[in-house]
Amino acid sequence: MKTLTTPRPPAVAATRPVTSSDRRRSPRTAAVWILVGPYTVFLVLFGLAPAGYALWTSFVDNGSFSGGRDWAAVFHDYRLGDAAAHVSTYLLLWLPILLLTVLSLAFTLHARPGRTTSALQLVYYLPGAVTGSAAALLWLFMVSPDSSPFAPLLKLMDVKSATDALSGGSVIAVLTVMGVAVHAGGWIVVLYGALNALPKDVLEAAQVDGASAWRTMWHVKLPMVRTYVAFVLISSFASGSQVFVEPTVLSTGAPGQISPTWSVNQLAYTYATQDGDFGKAAALSLAMLAVGVLAAWIVITRTRMYATDSSDSR
Amino acid sequence: MTALSRGARALFLLGAAVFFGLPLLWLLLAPTRTADDLTTGSPLGFGSLGNVGDAWSHLTSYNDGEITLWIGNSIVYAAASVALALLLCVPAGYALAKHDFAGRRALLTLSIVTMILPPAALVLPLYLEMSALDLTGTVWSVILPLSFYPFGVYLAFLHFQANLPDSLLDAGRVDGASELRLFWSVAVPLARPAIALIAFFGFVRCWTDFFLPFVMLSDDRTFTLQLGLMSLLQSTGAVNNSSGFADLDIHQPEAALAGLVACAPLLIGFVLAQRFLRTGLLAGAEKG
Repeated sequence: MKTLTTPRPPAVAATRPVTSSDRRRSPRTAAVWILVGPYTVFLVLFGLAPAGYALWTSFVDNGSFSGGRDWAAVFHDYRLGDAAAHVSTYLLLWLPILLLTVLSLAFTLHARPGRTTSALQLVYYLPGAVTGSAAALLWLFMVSPDSSPFAPLLKLMDVKSATDALSGGSVIAVLTVMGVAVHAGGWIVVLYGALNALPKDVLEAAQVDGASAWRTMWHVKLPMVRTYVAFVLISSFASGSQVFVEPTVLSTGAPGQISPTWSVNQLAYTYATQDGDFGKAAALSLAMLAVGVLAAWIVITRTRMYATDSSDSR
Repeated sequence: MTALSRGARALFLLGAAVFFGLPLLWLLLAPTRTADDLTTGSPLGFGSLGNVGDAWSHLTSYNDGEITLWIGNSIVYAAASVALALLLCVPAGYALAKHDFAGRRALLTLSIVTMILPPAALVLPLYLEMSALDLTGTVWSVILPLSFYPFGVYLAFLHFQANLPDSLLDAGRVDGASELRLFWSVAVPLARPAIALIAFFGFVRCWTDFFLPFVMLSDDRTFTLQLGLMSLLQSTGAVNNSSGFADLDIHQPEAALAGLVACAPLLIGFVLAQRFLRTGLLAGAEKG
């Protein structure tokens, strides 16, 4: 809390280029804190405090400092290597396909907005709305060649039964397809909304200048929604490296096919729920967080996502 | 646009629609069929509406129609959390995008850190916090943590940063409007599409959240729909035949119907939120 309210050191302020926003800083501090204050309280209570407690329990057992014992135990767990390998493969497959799907569909929809656009967005969103047990049921049937509407596709891939689809190397393909189907729709809506809110005169200017639809997309629209794409990337990397729902959903329906510790996050849940060992669960969760924060930091610095001045964010 | 590229565009969008739409079409048809027909019949066959009625009466026969209670609970929890989340995150996103103040970067960074924090790390400390405040088992133990919504703050932040011109605010300042008035009378009306989007995603999160209510709530009369359905379906083995007891007539068609009931509000919410997204309220705002 203290770091949030201490004023910026003058040395730092002096080295920054003077922007229009610097001029109006001090007299407006009160108004600003009325706007961000309530959220800040919630951030501390329901974000930082629990996260800090998790960090504490990963180092302290039964009131005494345990050193890195929980951390060491986690990193020596024979299941972690497998889980990390699964998740890395999943990320390598899923993240590029998801990003490509989201970008191409959002831009294609925006190139010629019309009545059908809204209907299509709803259709793209549909698989994301099905959660829990219903999702388990749905996806088990989707990968069963006997009953799936995708049967021709499954036969083409030489999948003869649901067990076939959920064993060996093909499980990662099934999870990727499922992950794209579940997550793409929401991001298409976010990106389409961002494209729709862009100032129309800029896009018209590009059109008047004779830019093709492709050039407009690549050189005008994409740079203007750059921060949104960065946001999709950060969130998706984090959610992909913490993949939990998809393997859990498939394994509840077909026990024994997919290990309950298939992903890193599932391993963390196993520590917390099966073993009742919250120290280890917290340590592993924080390790996942560190990976996500590193990725976020790279994306944020690359895209200058935090710029306030609207002219330099374009 | 040439005829060829128009055709390619339509084909691409349609292909995607088939990929995303088929699973839901299957789920929509599943309650009309019998469990046997689901595994042996044609993939997209239609059974009868009578089967849907049967499936629904099987679902409601569980604990004297407890399912309706869960629906009510879910609506109350979600409505309260979303309302509170909007009150917190729209002003915060605006201030972060349009003002430079001490602690701004720290707030943005900590928000993204908590946003990508694995729920496994947060839920147990949240439980301890709530039990220290003597709130576990109450509606507040679900509503308060859910109304902390850093994702919503980021959506608001990104929206105001990209789409609210500083010149518009400066014009208001010249007219003598206070900072809070600028937010309320200039920023909020122009951000209606973004606010609708945040409300929609916030609603989705509250409606589908499982782990938090699972940990906080113990009395099944306070359960959310997701929580109730999961325990109902798992105790009857509708999804996984190897477990559960068979005295209740809950099988695959019932599970499919339960899934449709659980996702229907999301689809309605989607249609409602979408009306705002189409309008493009900000178009030409600066010129006018």
